[in-house]
Amino acid sequence: MLSCFFIFVSLLFLVFIPFVEARVYLDINAPTFVQIPIVLLKWKGVNKTPPALPVKVHEILANDLVLSGFFKVIDERHLPNSLKGKEGIPAVESLQEWMSVGGEILLAGETSWEPGGQNLKLKFHLFDLVEQRHIVGKQYEGHHQVLRKMVHRMADEVVLQLTGERGVNNTKIAYVVLQGESKEIFIADFDGANTKQVTQNRSINISPTWSPDGKKIAFTSYLRRNPDLYLIDTNGQNLQRLSSYPGLNASPSWSPDGKKIVLMMGLEGKSDIYLIDANGSHPKKLTTGHGNEASPTWSPDGKQIAFVSDRAGSPQIYVMRANGSDARRLTFDGNYNTNPSWSPKGERIAYCGRVERRYDIFTIDADGSGLQRLTSNSGNNEGPSWSPDGRYIAFSSTRYGGSRIFIMNANGFNQRPLTTGKGGESSPAWSQPFE
Amino acid sequence: MGKKSLVVLILILCLGLVLTACPKKTVVKEEPSARKAEEQALAEREKAAKLEAEKAARERELARISEEEAKREKEKEFEKSLVAKREPGIAGEVFESDMLKDIHFDFDKYDIRPEDAEILRENASLLMRYSSVKIQIEGHCDERGTNEYNLALGERRANAAKNYLISLGLSANRIATISYGEERPFDPGHNEEAWAQNRRGHFVILSK
Repeated sequence: MLSCFFIFVSLLFLVFIPFVEARVYLDINAPTFVQIPIVLLKWKGVNKTPPALPVKVHEILANDLVLSGFFKVIDERHLPNSLKGKEGIPAVESLQEWMSVGGEILLAGETSWEPGGQNLKLKFHLFDLVEQRHIVGKQYEGHHQVLRKMVHRMADEVVLQLTGERGVNNTKIAYVVLQGESKEIFIADFDGANTKQVTQNRSINISPTWSPDGKKIAFTSYLRRNPDLYLIDTNGQNLQRLSSYPGLNASPSWSPDGKKIVLMMGLEGKSDIYLIDANGSHPKKLTTGHGNEASPTWSPDGKQIAFVSDRAGSPQIYVMRANGSDARRLTFDGNYNTNPSWSPKGERIAYCGRVERRYDIFTIDADGSGLQRLTSNSGNNEGPSWSPDGRYIAFSSTRYGGSRIFIMNANGFNQRPLTTGKGGESSPAWSQPFE
Repeated sequence: MGKKSLVVLILILCLGLVLTACPKKTVVKEEPSARKAEEQALAEREKAAKLEAEKAARERELARISEEEAKREKEKEFEKSLVAKREPGIAGEVFESDMLKDIHFDFDKYDIRPEDAEILRENASLLMRYSSVKIQIEGHCDERGTNEYNLALGERRANAAKNYLISLGLSANRIATISYGEERPFDPGHNEEAWAQNRRGHFVILSK
């Protein structure tokens, strides 16, 4: 609560010097790309700032840059002795001395905070080492308790300046954690920090999804000995039962306008795709026929729904109009394709496919072309969920033994675990960015 | 044969009847003590037969009672076999019985296999005897594949078992279903043996 208040009220950012031209250093939509080598100078603490603070800023920032997958971070330990220990913002005239270290971009900044004070200030400057020029500089001010958020915001700005689109460092990921026989919903920041347990009822709580406003999570729970659909605040308060028809009420996906929820329901003795109002009323069956229908996901324009059906004998991805008409099959490779997730950018659908008894993440265009395999030879990989900018995919993987949440770039690069959990994690769901 | 000879034959037969009937009458009349003894013997025989019948009835009754006792005993056996089950985070109490056997499924399948049809027939005949019992069939899957598709598969498995029981004459309103997908494995292992155990239809008793 406190953090939200301050991030809205007192987070100011001032453009010091407007950047000369909007140049994109990295086309992240290209199927492959080379990471930008970026020199991250030792962060400087000014005035009475305790020395631990700039170290912390540096650490969070460096991690954000690495996690973005767009950068190869060159910092202190890669520098020649002559440059070690240099900190703070260099003058454009002195950029020459940094050219030898192999970076194309230089990022430097400082922090000031007086112990006992409320607000701290962060300032960064970005330089183009190849062209020997200043790109942009910005300053942030906010409550010291939201330091992490401010640094994420700064990192998002760096990503925006260099790739043409803001980063997703202020997003969260909801996921399921196995605890004994129970499954509970957790959330964590994009960098794996701030893990919080949302449900604590020892039931089976599965398939979490964020509400479009990011304030609530919908999920399925067996609390009443039926897989019912519930809604809960992200702080674990205000549990509300939304849909409790006999049989399944599972795998919810909100329409982009937040008015409808599409989900799996089992009213006729098998799983079908249904549409309900956001308050759980007026169920309308969208699928017909004898197949098992599962895992619906909206297209970002709200006009289509991708889902799984085994109507042709094996589970495959299908796409239909939001009113249930014109269903067409999307996947033809393999005999087990499930878990579709529609990119917020609209073009691609990620899904989980089985190849030689292993499960891997694939993406395919919504017209069925451009099939791409993103994981291989790395355990079972399931449950893809896109970041709100469509540049990353979260998924679960058993490559290190127990199932853990991973994140990768949408082209499959830079796969890394979200948390250092001991396994039993599944079903990631990515939030919208939080301001 | 002439008319005359027929008349003669009838006369001869009549005479014969008269001649044979007369001496018997005479004996009865002439030997009253012998008649009495015979009556006594008859009475004794009747008495013995009555006793015999009573004994048989008693035995039948005893057999019936012991049969009923056996039936009650068997009912008790089922009653005794019920084990209350409470799970954290899942409302209510249900009962499990080792007399209601699990069925199993092939990978990615939900049709009832012949050997499992036999188990369902046994379960059905047990449930026929206890017409007040309401059950819930749980559909379970192994961990392979995605959670949501497994929820759909579990739903289908539970309903396949339900429909089979209905086809055997069990009333639909006594059978509820629930899909646990891959969320409640019987065997937590990650191998073929565990998976085969986990692809199952499990029966719990909602009310006795």
